[in-house]
Amino acid sequence: MNIQTLLKEIGLEDVSDSGTVQVPVSDFALTAEHIVEAGSPLVLMYALDERKKSNIFSIRAVFAVGTELLTLESYLSPEKPQYPSLTRSIMAANWYERQIMDQFGIEAVGHPDPRRLMHHENVPEGTYPMRKDFEWNTKLAHAHVPYPMHQVEGEGVYEIPVGPIHAGIIEPGHFRFNVRGERIITLEGKLFFKHKGVLKLVEGKTPEEALPFVERVSGDMVVGHTLAFVQAVEKVSGVKVPLRAEYLRVIWSELERVCAHIFDIGNMGGMGTGFTFMAAQGFRMVEEMRRLNADLVGHRFLRGAITLGGAHDVTADDEVKILETIKRIEKDIGEVLKIAYAKDGLKERFETTGILGKEAALAYGAQGIGARASGIDMDLRRDMPYGAYADMDVSVMVETVGDVLARFNVRVRELTESFRLIRLAITTLPEGKATLPVPHGTGDAYGFAESWRGAVLDFVRLDAKGRIDRLVIRDPSFCNWPLFGELAPGNIVPDFPLCNKSLNLSYSGTDL
Amino acid sequence: MTYLLITFQALVVLLSAPLVVGMVRTLKARFQNRQGPSIFLPYVSMLSLLRKEMTITKHSSWVFRMVPFVVLGSAFFLALVVPSLFFGIVPSSLDNIFLFGAVVALGSVFLVLGGMDTGSTFGNMGSSREMTLATLVEPALYVSLATLALATGAWGMGGIVGHFTSLPWLVAVPPAIVTLIGLLFVLLAENARYPVDNPATHLELTMVHEAMILEYSGTYLAMLEYASAIKLTALLAVCMGILIPFGISAPPVTFFGLGIALIAFFGKLALGAFAIAFIESVIVKMRFYRMQEYMMLAFFIALLGLAVELIVLYH
Repeated sequence: MNIQTLLKEIGLEDVSDSGTVQVPVSDFALTAEHIVEAGSPLVLMYALDERKKSNIFSIRAVFAVGTELLTLESYLSPEKPQYPSLTRSIMAANWYERQIMDQFGIEAVGHPDPRRLMHHENVPEGTYPMRKDFEWNTKLAHAHVPYPMHQVEGEGVYEIPVGPIHAGIIEPGHFRFNVRGERIITLEGKLFFKHKGVLKLVEGKTPEEALPFVERVSGDMVVGHTLAFVQAVEKVSGVKVPLRAEYLRVIWSELERVCAHIFDIGNMGGMGTGFTFMAAQGFRMVEEMRRLNADLVGHRFLRGAITLGGAHDVTADDEVKILETIKRIEKDIGEVLKIAYAKDGLKERFETTGILGKEAALAYGAQGIGARASGIDMDLRRDMPYGAYADMDVSVMVETVGDVLARFNVRVRELTESFRLIRLAITTLPEGKATLPVPHGTGDAYGFAESWRGAVLDFVRLDAKGRIDRLVIRDPSFCNWPLFGELAPGNIVPDFPLCNKSLNLSYSGTDL
Repeated sequence: MTYLLITFQALVVLLSAPLVVGMVRTLKARFQNRQGPSIFLPYVSMLSLLRKEMTITKHSSWVFRMVPFVVLGSAFFLALVVPSLFFGIVPSSLDNIFLFGAVVALGSVFLVLGGMDTGSTFGNMGSSREMTLATLVEPALYVSLATLALATGAWGMGGIVGHFTSLPWLVAVPPAIVTLIGLLFVLLAENARYPVDNPATHLELTMVHEAMILEYSGTYLAMLEYASAIKLTALLAVCMGILIPFGISAPPVTFFGLGIALIAFFGKLALGAFAIAFIESVIVKMRFYRMQEYMMLAFFIALLGLAVELIVLYH
């Protein structure tokens, strides 16, 4: 399906080439519903403050239509910006709409759960930080606005508040369990303790100046985020990066994926179930990979690997180093996995824990590993191939059960594929330059990349001077966090850490 | 003289308790190809805890403050009556198996109270889990102890171990092996080891024993950690004393006999620590809702042990 046939199907004709369709506010929700019903999922919602230019706010919903992105847009009045909520019929819109209410004060009328999302108790009413008239250095008064969380009442029901500070070295997040005995009835997260104001801070900066901010959006997903961002900027500027750079970008992306997957395999097996041998071995291998990263690009988490207009280049020596290291790691992780799969106790903990049904995953708009483990066959590297992935025939790893074991298996199988892609990219690495200058451009573009967690989707608007007017970053974690409310109930409290590790979502990438 | 021996024996158990914990930790690290800390680290960490300030929430009552003393007291009692070096010195009214079991339970109950007293969620969660486990583990513990009493005709720990030392190993110990396996299950559960609990975890949501003592700090925490080290050592000493009764003697005690007893005792502890580290390295922690299966297994192994002993006795 492409955009034209879809629009014909739902009775909309007037389309510009940009893939953006304007509809009146009154039709916004209904049109979105038709598009989703036609089989094109909602992948992003964001708002723009265009009061200076045309005295409007605009609300946009983005849908994945085949290999293209369709943007549905409505203009809202500047005095009382509101639109009919999509969440009533499209689950995936839930957090986006709540986020837009917090960021812009644009009300989704009829939203079933219009509580605050990003703003905690301390943010005063009427604070809309993403509006253009809000200065980044505004000092806010300390407020006490209620932030109610779901509660269950009944005999034997009690509440377990966990976090935001945890015992391990992990990011802050508060989880509220309502349990009866050990059985979880409801689970709700309160995140957004890591607000850095990245999206506000990059406004008015050139893409070069903004790149370090994007690199730091989520510590372990440097390549995923920078790749989505630079591809958007390059699209605006109309730059075609050299072929060598495209291949290098594959190498860096897959090295990041290998690191993360080995870490998760060790963490799920070792820390989640207490089979500590796996953690000790897994973390040892991750350390080796990180040292390789530091040796190659000068940073353990690959900052600086992706640049505007290109990528960090490798020498023939580097190629040998990469090949030798992944050969060793592949053998070692193979041995660890052989032991792991032979352990009934481990399987017993993984199986039937934290099941996420396919229907729920689709409804919530789940991304990445969480989606593929529940039978959703999606991977941008194959579905909307970017860079050199188009030449590489990426296999997408799909499992059907949707439990912790399925997510473990997806990682294990993707690891094999990543090793293959790294080898392929190195052996077919074209000669030539690794980077090109990117001239300043003006306009809008989307950029996306399949990071190891799932799809990163960025919207970039560069103004007439080539500076960032608006940046939207959608980390896959933002789509996956609400899944906990779906997959945790029915499990027992001591199994929650395992569910959590099996998704391994980013707190920082969600809170920008 | 007897009192001197009892004191000496108790002191040996008390002084070696942190070492057992240290050995288990280091051996576990070695099983994971890690270097691991020094086996003497628990001494250092407990001593440094003693020097640290205690933070006690104002929402706690006197119960919270009493718990460390009762728990440590009950551990001291175990150290006192366990026939680790000698048997026949502790009066049999004191080392009675039912008293032994009751004192173990007393420590658990007060830990549970301490976990609940502050009203913190994790403490209550740990306490609720501990009560579930304690209820489930008790039948296996008493059936195992009763089997030993039946086999040896003695109701005291000293008498039981004494019986095993007095007979050739091949005659006395093999029939008791099944019971010892049952006791091993109990020992792992009572001491918050795998597959019941993970003493090394940082995940509050999965904790049992650690959750109950989360609110303790400084000296009280040191007391509770010391108490659990003593409990582990004492129960290990009982199991190993029956499995390998070598070296344990009755008075009169010679210097040579004392030396042998000490060497044998530490050898047995090292062996026991190795066994625990090995078990914890090769198995995965069980799902909490399968604990009743584990405890049921322990109980039936204990019953099987009883059946074996009955057949041996009356065939």
